[in-house]
Amino acid sequence: MKDYLKVGISGVRGIAGETFTPQLASAFARAFGSYGGRGSVLVGRDTRASGEMFEHAVIAGLQSTGCQPILAGIVPTPTLLFLTRQLAARGGIAITASHNPAPWNALKFIDDTGLFLSLARAGEFYDVYHQGEFKLVPENEIPGATVLADPMAGHIATILNYVDTDAIRRAHVRVAVDCCNGVGALHTRPFLEKLGCEVFTCGDRITGDFERDPEPAPENLATLSALVRDHRCAIGFAQDPDGDRLALVNEDGVPIGEDLTVAFAVRQVLDHHVRGPVVVHLSTSRCVRAVAEARGVAVHLSRIGEINVTEKILAIGAAVGGEGNGGIIVPAIHPCRDSFAGMAIVLELLATTKKSVSALRAETPSYFMVKDKLTIRSEAAVGILRAIRRRYEKEELTLIDGVHVDFGDRWLHVRMSNTEPVLRLTAEAPDEARARALVNDVRAEIAKM
Amino acid sequence: MVPSPFPLHRNCAACYRPPMRTLRLASFGVQGSIGDGLTPDIVIDFAAAFGTFLERAPVLVGRDTRQSSRMLHSAVLSGLMSTGCNVIDLGVCPTPMLQFCVPEHGAAGAISISGGHSPMGINAIQLIGGRGAYIEPVVGETVLDIYHARDFSYAPWNQIGKVSRLQDFSRTYFDRLAALLDVDAIRKAAFTVVIDPVNGAGSPYIRPFAECLGLRLIPVNDVASGHVARDPEPRPRNARQVAALMQHIPADIGMISSSDMGRLSVVSEIGETASEEYTLPIIANHVLAKRTGVVVTNCCTTRTVDEVAKRHRATVVKARVGQAFISSALADENGVLGGEGNGSVALPEFNRGFDAFLMMGLILEAMAVRRATASALIADLPRYHIVKQQVAGETHRGYRALERMAESTEWREDGTLSNLDGLRVDWPDGWLHLRASQTAPIVRIISEAETIPVAEARALTAARLLEHLL
Repeated sequence: MKDYLKVGISGVRGIAGETFTPQLASAFARAFGSYGGRGSVLVGRDTRASGEMFEHAVIAGLQSTGCQPILAGIVPTPTLLFLTRQLAARGGIAITASHNPAPWNALKFIDDTGLFLSLARAGEFYDVYHQGEFKLVPENEIPGATVLADPMAGHIATILNYVDTDAIRRAHVRVAVDCCNGVGALHTRPFLEKLGCEVFTCGDRITGDFERDPEPAPENLATLSALVRDHRCAIGFAQDPDGDRLALVNEDGVPIGEDLTVAFAVRQVLDHHVRGPVVVHLSTSRCVRAVAEARGVAVHLSRIGEINVTEKILAIGAAVGGEGNGGIIVPAIHPCRDSFAGMAIVLELLATTKKSVSALRAETPSYFMVKDKLTIRSEAAVGILRAIRRRYEKEELTLIDGVHVDFGDRWLHVRMSNTEPVLRLTAEAPDEARARALVNDVRAEIAKM
Repeated sequence: MVPSPFPLHRNCAACYRPPMRTLRLASFGVQGSIGDGLTPDIVIDFAAAFGTFLERAPVLVGRDTRQSSRMLHSAVLSGLMSTGCNVIDLGVCPTPMLQFCVPEHGAAGAISISGGHSPMGINAIQLIGGRGAYIEPVVGETVLDIYHARDFSYAPWNQIGKVSRLQDFSRTYFDRLAALLDVDAIRKAAFTVVIDPVNGAGSPYIRPFAECLGLRLIPVNDVASGHVARDPEPRPRNARQVAALMQHIPADIGMISSSDMGRLSVVSEIGETASEEYTLPIIANHVLAKRTGVVVTNCCTTRTVDEVAKRHRATVVKARVGQAFISSALADENGVLGGEGNGSVALPEFNRGFDAFLMMGLILEAMAVRRATASALIADLPRYHIVKQQVAGETHRGYRALERMAESTEWREDGTLSNLDGLRVDWPDGWLHLRASQTAPIVRIISEAETIPVAEARALTAARLLEHLL
């Protein structure tokens, strides 16, 4: 869909210059300033070509409501969330479409606790936007924008303080990183060098475009794999454009799948830091559950969407959690997806276990996941979801987000996407054949309708 | 408002302050009140309309120091970028300097963000064309059409405009200004000068200006803070601070400008706060002596300009009120000099914009070359007396009332009538001009004559008739 704009729990998202314009960005910033009340608001962005334009629109919109923009510039989304809490700001606006392709951009709204707006707060906020009566302050109350001198410092220091920095430094790990021409191009090398790594990078220029598909999925990591092999690295890290997701490549240059990032982080946090429950969303690989259960802790499932995972983590006081797409969340650092925290914890895992990535992979139970999607109108999706629910009503169902069916060693999850007009079909089983069978079963059910 | 010498009850200028309109869109740009009509959304739309019109050509952007100008600056940048225009950002920059830079940098146009002479709380964005003049009124209409139709041509994501910052632009500007003036004469005179740029866009530049001309500078209100320290209209009642200072610190001249450095008025060495009406004739008297030609002014500027022009065998062409119309007529007539009675002068040979640095330079040059004091320059001009009045009335009624007044002859007797912009009556010993304000619901009356009683009597007659008709 070319002319697509999505306003929802993941913020306001569209294609720059088509559905998403500076006028719209300014209006949302005005609504945000009116909703949050006067105070300072963090503003940061990723490296997209449209980022600076939207940043200016957001600055103007915020200023008109009397909110002082604090400009963090090109920073990872987790850093912006961290800063919002650290600086006790009224809120924040992240200008990033995360893993969407370069033509897209989005505004994501952060509340005064440094978390993305919850469903309830997002609802209130969109009401303010739709009512269209934005606060306007007079001339002498219009604040200037402040530029943050070293926006990364606090976030990085917190991560370095959390992990066993000495152990990592002693290991002198050779690391390859694909920064996806995103925020990592600016911040990842200095970060890893602080951890004593020898760093080799690709996707490390800021051009406004992305050299590869921005999803750090295995099929997009050929350049990183070559880099790992060429420089005999112990590990390869793949980031997405705004630095919240992380995928791993083993020492032979083979991508091990984004779910393994979460499995590794869960293992290291539970073994080395704190033992406690784990939260992942419904479509996360069962290998995470296997890792947690082997250590005697419970796994809780949340709805899809970062804020849902975060809220569950905070609600039950989880030790660690994340999303299967490579978004690890360590609440002791900051309860949001964070590729920088992810890199540090995985390096700590390598350093403390003195094992290779492939050896660690081999110690993690293996599952095969099939991800399929169907472009569909939302009203059709409702009927399909009901049919699937009836089809599997004898199985163990979780209905908090679409239909999730648990068959013991296999599971199936069918839901409408938050960000695209597609129905996502995800299934996982110990082997490919059984996973495909689950998806095919659902497709057959849909075909009948 | 000027205290009226003859109160007119509800229309008494001393006690009636008309509400400003919160938003005004015109071919020159947008003006409005902050916290009210002039929102970032409107400014983004307007900048996007201008960017659409310019078809992705590079654009200069400059702003004054007002607090809201920072906000409007961001809005302008995003609107221009969205239509694929690369922006060359000058940051805090007087409007005339921005206008000067447009042809220098081969830009297709510029947007100036400045409250200009308006009080705190009012701000505006002005559109400037490829040659550095305010865009021609007919061209501005096209931009307005794009704005109203919301017919923006957004650039695709990978062709969105980029912003670059222009540094050091003032150096070229002052070099060229120095080349135009008799700098040696000015330096030799070693003037002591008080300059009050009302904490506006001129603030960072008055020191380089003083250095360029070897002046001993006494700066007043020169902190680029955005705090509007006084009513920014350069006119006698707003020059009191400078005049008071000059009582204690002797200076050769004092000069006060508007926030955008587009207007200027003068305080003489004896503390006489000269009317802003005299800025143009002082300069005309000097410039036309060197090179005569066509002078362009508007239809409500002092007759002193006509007399000075006559003195130097120059022709005066009258245009409608506003910089855009003056600039347009200057180009049409290939004029030597242009300006308005509000304290503005443009010398197309140097800059197409109304330029207070140029005005200061030319006045200082006149003092140096003629070995004359500021008061002597003023005394050398034929003097008339101007009375400014206003009558409250909605604009649409104002226009109708003016039509009726044009039909009636009894109040204007033998005066000749013209309706280039509003209504003007000329008598052998003076003139009177009536015009519905573009920014507030009032009709402005300007009456000039050889004596104050005659000017006042004519204004009173017109005001009473208008009151009756409104």
